[in-house]
Amino acid sequence: MKKIFALLLASLLLLSACSSESKTTEEASDTEKETNELTVWTWDPNFNVKAINMAMDTYNKENSKLKLKVIENAQADIVQKLNTSLSSGTSKGMPNIVLIEDYRAQSFLKAYPDAFFELSSYFKAEDFAEYKLAPTSLEDKHYGIPFDTGVSGFYVRTDYLEKAGYTVEDLQGIDWNKYIEIGKKVKQATGKSMISMDPKDLGLIRQMIQTSGSWYLKEDGVTPDLGDNEFLKEAFTTYKEIIDADISKPVSDWGQYLASFNSGETASVLTGNWMTASVKQEASQKDKWAVVPFPKQSGNANSVNATNLGGSSWYVLNISGKEKAADLLAKTFGSNVDFYQDINKEIGAIGTYKPAAEGEAYKAADEFFGGQPITQDFSKWVADIPQVNYGAHTYVIEDILAVGMQDYLKGKDLDTVLKDAQKQAEQQIK
Amino acid sequence: MSKLSSIFTYTFLSLASIVSIFPFLWMVVSSTNKSVDVTKGRLLPGSHLLENFRSLLDTVDLIPVLINSIKIAVITTLLALLIASLAGYGFEIFKSKMKDYVFSFLLLSMMIPFAALMVPLFRMFGTISEAAPMIGIDTLAAVILPTSATAFLIFFFRQSTKMFPREIIEAGRIDGLSELGVFIRIYIPTMKTTYAAAAIITFMASWNSYLWPLVVLQSSEKHTLPLLISNLGSGYSPDFGVIMTAIVIATLPTALIFFILQKHFVAGMMGSVK
Repeated sequence: MKKIFALLLASLLLLSACSSESKTTEEASDTEKETNELTVWTWDPNFNVKAINMAMDTYNKENSKLKLKVIENAQADIVQKLNTSLSSGTSKGMPNIVLIEDYRAQSFLKAYPDAFFELSSYFKAEDFAEYKLAPTSLEDKHYGIPFDTGVSGFYVRTDYLEKAGYTVEDLQGIDWNKYIEIGKKVKQATGKSMISMDPKDLGLIRQMIQTSGSWYLKEDGVTPDLGDNEFLKEAFTTYKEIIDADISKPVSDWGQYLASFNSGETASVLTGNWMTASVKQEASQKDKWAVVPFPKQSGNANSVNATNLGGSSWYVLNISGKEKAADLLAKTFGSNVDFYQDINKEIGAIGTYKPAAEGEAYKAADEFFGGQPITQDFSKWVADIPQVNYGAHTYVIEDILAVGMQDYLKGKDLDTVLKDAQKQAEQQIK
Repeated sequence: MSKLSSIFTYTFLSLASIVSIFPFLWMVVSSTNKSVDVTKGRLLPGSHLLENFRSLLDTVDLIPVLINSIKIAVITTLLALLIASLAGYGFEIFKSKMKDYVFSFLLLSMMIPFAALMVPLFRMFGTISEAAPMIGIDTLAAVILPTSATAFLIFFFRQSTKMFPREIIEAGRIDGLSELGVFIRIYIPTMKTTYAAAAIITFMASWNSYLWPLVVLQSSEKHTLPLLISNLGSGYSPDFGVIMTAIVIATLPTALIFFILQKHFVAGMMGSVK
């Protein structure tokens, strides 16, 4: 009897021990919220967390002292948390500022229209790259302040190119046919694959069709555009040609993907500029890399050598403290050229704020890339990225297409594959 | 012949054990390597363990997170054992017409996936937060309470109680023990192995639980180890060496508890199946 009571008491005590402690912090944060503490949800400690903390420092130099409580979670986790809290209608524990990837932004803005605070009056939208504005706004109201660009680059090993008889100049403004031709030569000369591809991740397809100003959805951002989308068809064909030419190396996850170029097994990486840090991670490959413009599609005269993969923007939630949060974002990410130079120098982030491209940090040469001013090149390409409406269902459609791609690679007719995908997508997106 | 077959058995079992232990070994080895070497698939131990450990301590608040995980797992285990064993005992020993209906209702609750319960549960804790913030959203109590009584554990205890000799209970009652006395003085000591097995199951489940803590714990200082590891892997260029070091640290307590209670665990599992 005594034992069980002791046990009961002990657990109650422990329970109340951890709760009483949380009570005090809770109370503290409630009162502080009234004054100056803002909560931020974001991912990646070396990138986004640093960026928002630097924004706070910059802001505090000239304005009232704000305190940020940055809560770090993986991106998928933030999506999960945000969905749970928003759909349960409980504002308890919600952040003031949250970072959302552009592909996902519309699904939140549409599903929870009142949950986000309109920022139209806080920044000049025309100062930002046009392609960033569609995902961050809804019905001409701006809800997100654009942050990093996912402008894509064609990272390439110059030493392998040389062995195959090419120079970096030969790669400027090429299309996919030329890319495959070069890939074959590189494979012949060095035995290395030109590219590594993860069959579950169609990022490459997304980048290809955006060079032509096309997307999985029509311009309304709702109707699937797969069955009769000639650019998507061309992208699928190119994808198969790459595999048939035997210049690709299959990888099955992110770690293998990184390893494929860190180990020197692949000659090029075609992805968003945020990959720069991972490319640089293998210090022994210094002076062996260059970044050139992304290949365009050959079947479309309007296709450009610029596209995008990923990238995200900051949103303010419609809860107490919103004006302060909006002010913080407006005076840093929304208008501060010097701030953009700082975050570029510190974490390599490239924004989409057009005036920032004139700053000195953007023009600096990068030693790793043989002195190439890669930031300047990237921000030059940002201006050319075709604007498309990502809509709210990028990843839903991508899951359907990934299966379709496998069918196509196994020999199924492409038109049938895309028509089937169209039907499936129409059923799922309603 | 018998020699041949034993050679075969040994080779087969050795191969099987290598296959099953390989991921674990790779995890330990990777924690001593640089991130680049991990992605390249290096299988030899490196010299980076201390550096990985140091940068883990630098990038995250490991100790408070570890303490949170321990607090949650220990309290959940204690509460769950107490509640489930009382319930399992009651269901099996006492007579009632309705008890089987209640029990099947309880089992039904095992069929509902947690994803379906999450939003209502979150809403519930949101409302609780208004009245009693000490057990509302963003407290460790909010993680502990929903998992402290599980249908599975009650089922597990009821099954094990089936082989508990009722004569002893009668003897205890005749000797003047109260009902609670019978439970504490006779039942608990006899069912030690069942308690051990249940303790391991609950501790592991609680230690590794991810979804609910993720949703309900908002502030970083209340995060648990699985959340911390997930965050480490979230960057554009994750440091795999550091992640592996964190995973090794997260694995140690469960491994330790399992080895301590292993003997009882096996006996307990056997007991419940009989």
